[in-house]
Parts: sequence; structure tokens; C-alpha cells
Amino acid sequence: MQDSPPPGEDQAGEVGFAQALLAAAQAIEPATVLRDKSDRITLQVPAAAIAKICQWLRDDPALRFDLLYDHTAIDWPAENRFELVYLLAAVLDPQPRTRDLQVMVTTSVPRDNPVIDTVCGIWPIAEWQEREVYDMFGILYTNHPDLRRLFLEDDWEGFPLRKDYEDDFMLERPT
Amino acid sequence: MGMITDGLPGFLEPLPGGSAVLTKVDQLVNWSRSNSLWPLTFGTSCCAIEMMMASGAARHDISRFGAEVVRASPRQADLIIIAGTIVKRMAPRLRTLYEQMAEPRYVIATGSCTIAGGPFIYHSYTTIRGADEIIPVDVYVPGCPPRPEALFYGLLTLQKMIREGESLRHPGERRRPVLSALPEGMTIEDIQAEMRDLLVADANVKMSEELAEGAHWAQELKDF
Ligand code: SF4
Repeated sequence: MQDSPPPGEDQAGEVGFAQALLAAAQAIEPATVLRDKSDRITLQVPAAAIAKICQWLRDDPALRFDLLYDHTAIDWPAENRFELVYLLAAVLDPQPRTRDLQVMVTTSVPRDNPVIDTVCGIWPIAEWQEREVYDMFGILYTNHPDLRRLFLEDDWEGFPLRKDYEDDFMLERPT
Repeated sequence: MGMITDGLPGFLEPLPGGSAVLTKVDQLVNWSRSNSLWPLTFGTSCCAIEMMMASGAARHDISRFGAEVVRASPRQADLIIIAGTIVKRMAPRLRTLYEQMAEPRYVIATGSCTIAGGPFIYHSYTTIRGADEIIPVDVYVPGCPPRPEALFYGLLTLQKMIREGESLRHPGERRRPVLSALPEGMTIEDIQAEMRDLLVADANVKMSEELAEGAHWAQELKDF
């Protein structure tokens, strides 16, 4: 982020903004929490509430997160879950802001049943990003208009970025 | 060109002294081929940035070696610089591009990815472990990525191979591929000196005359 204000000055403002954001999010979904270890403001929400929270983040006149600039997943086999990450930015906001806003939203789905609502009705770009995550992790997005593989061949078996993925082509590192 | 060069050996060889003429023709053809290597616009990852540094940026000028006419169509190119990781989905496309290029065609593989899979050799579901599994490679330029100087050195190596090794008597014959690793003790200054000597030897500008007339750019180049 360019032009970020000096740390001391920004700290109070950022904490205040995070608390306000959390309070507003909890009004929509009470189970929302702030993640403590994170390089930016991060809302952890239950998987069922993802569409509601995202809609609010985009439409609230004080927030207007109009860009989903990245969406990806992380595989945590030990905890039997996929963590889904949504990175949001406000780029078209007409109001001048003291700092440019970026917010991360994370949620988790179980590894054995990775189903979640699509957000591509909210940000159309999500259609491609969700296809990529489906391609690599096998997350199933309900109501996605065109959930096909994006990078790999259509007849590819398995989802290569899962930690337990293996195929005949892979080489093991000799020990 | 193709028809003439194909028919020439059969026509010249039986004539008295024809063999010697053919050798001279070889030299001429090889000289022109080695100095007009037109690369294909082809780059698949980080090494391609380094290739752009060599072919398009300000500091290094690949056009001094006749290889700046980067073509967007394989039909017009005779050199493919494989710059970057080749993955399973790219492999058939690379093969097609190579086959579409006109003979004689040359291949330089830059970077460890195209030599052996590079950093992605283990636990990768898609990286091809060496571009030579797909198409034959003439010159390997190691590095991750190779510096522009190393790419130049690879190009000079390829030019040397063409000048010394090719003959119209055996069209399309492939020589053994070479690894153009910088020899022990070779420094950037040595490569620059080699490039400078080559430029002076091939030059259409007479440096000594320019120097005698006091052209300051010639003095700068000499001191470089
Ligand atoms: S060799 Fe290194 S720099 Fe070149 S494409 Fe591979 S990873 Fe990138």
C-alpha cells in the first residue's frame, strides 16, 4: 500500500475502524470474530454467512468494497478444513479516505464436504476466481453459473493443490 | 532459397573444383544464417523477463548480433528461445510452434526450468522436466534466470555452432547440443570484450577511421 501514514499515527485509527467494522458485522452475523494474527483487518465468518457478509461489505455506503482482488483457499488437513480467503479493496470510492482500505474475509469449510455459496452475484470477477479455486482445491460453489476447470484439462483427476494430492507424474524428492 | 540450397550440392559437387566452391558457399550461407537469427516471441515465465531485458531494453542490444527481429509468427522465425517453465498444457503448443518454424531452426533453452524442471522438479503435478523432452535443444543456457550476458553468450555459442558446424551437404543434420555454461573464471568483462571484438570484426563502421576523425562516441566505445 502506498502512502501509508506513519505507524504510530495510524495505529489508533486502524484499531478503531476494525472495532467498528466488527460491531457492524456482528449485527449481521453474530458469530463473526476478528482474527488477531493478520497483516490486515480480517473478519472470520461462518461459511453459511459468507454471501450476506460480502453483500454488506460491498453495498454499505461507508464501506463500498467494490473489488474482490483475490480469492483463494488454504488446505489444513490436520484440522480437516479448507480455509477460504477473500481479499477486498475499495477502489472506486468517491469519498476521500485517510488510508486505502483493504479487508480480508476468511471462512472455513469441512474438507470432506467443501460446499459454499458463490459470491459471483456480488463481484462478477469471482466467477473466474472461484473456477480457479475449484480447479485446484475442489471447492464446490453453489449457484455458480459455470463451474468448470480453468487451468487444467477437463479430464484431470483430483485437485492438485490439496496437500494429499498425488499422481504418477510427480517426483518425490530423494532423501 | 530452399530450392537453390537443396539442389546446389548435387549440382556443384561433380564439377571440377566444385567442392571448394561449395565450401565457400557454405561459409557465406552460414555467415548470413548466423547473423540473422530471428527469434520467436515466446516466453512463459520469469526467464522471459530476462529475455526481454536482452532483446528489448536499453542496456543490452541483441540487434548487434542480428537477432532483434522478434517475430510474432513462427513461420517467420528461425530461433526459439524457450524462456520459462514449460508445463503440461504448454508442451503441445510448444511442439506445434516448433514444427511451424521454417528450417533451418534453432532452439536455445534458457534457465534451469527448461533444462531440467528447475525449482519445480519435485512435487510438481505439471512442470515438464526439461524442454528437450518436447523439442530438440541446441544450446542450454543455465541460470535461474540467466543474466542477459549469459543469454548473449548462449547466442554467440549458437552462432559459432552454425558457422563451424553446418554444411549444405547435410541439410537439417543436428549437431550435439551444447551447454553454454560460462567457463570457469569467465567474467562479464570477458563476454563484453568478446562481443566488442565481434562487433568490430563484423562492423560496417570503421572504428579506426572514426577514431582518427575524433568521433567521441568511438572513443567511448573503445574505453568501455
Ligand atoms: S529457471 Fe528460474 S527464472 Fe527461469 S523460469 Fe525457471 S524459475 Fe523462473
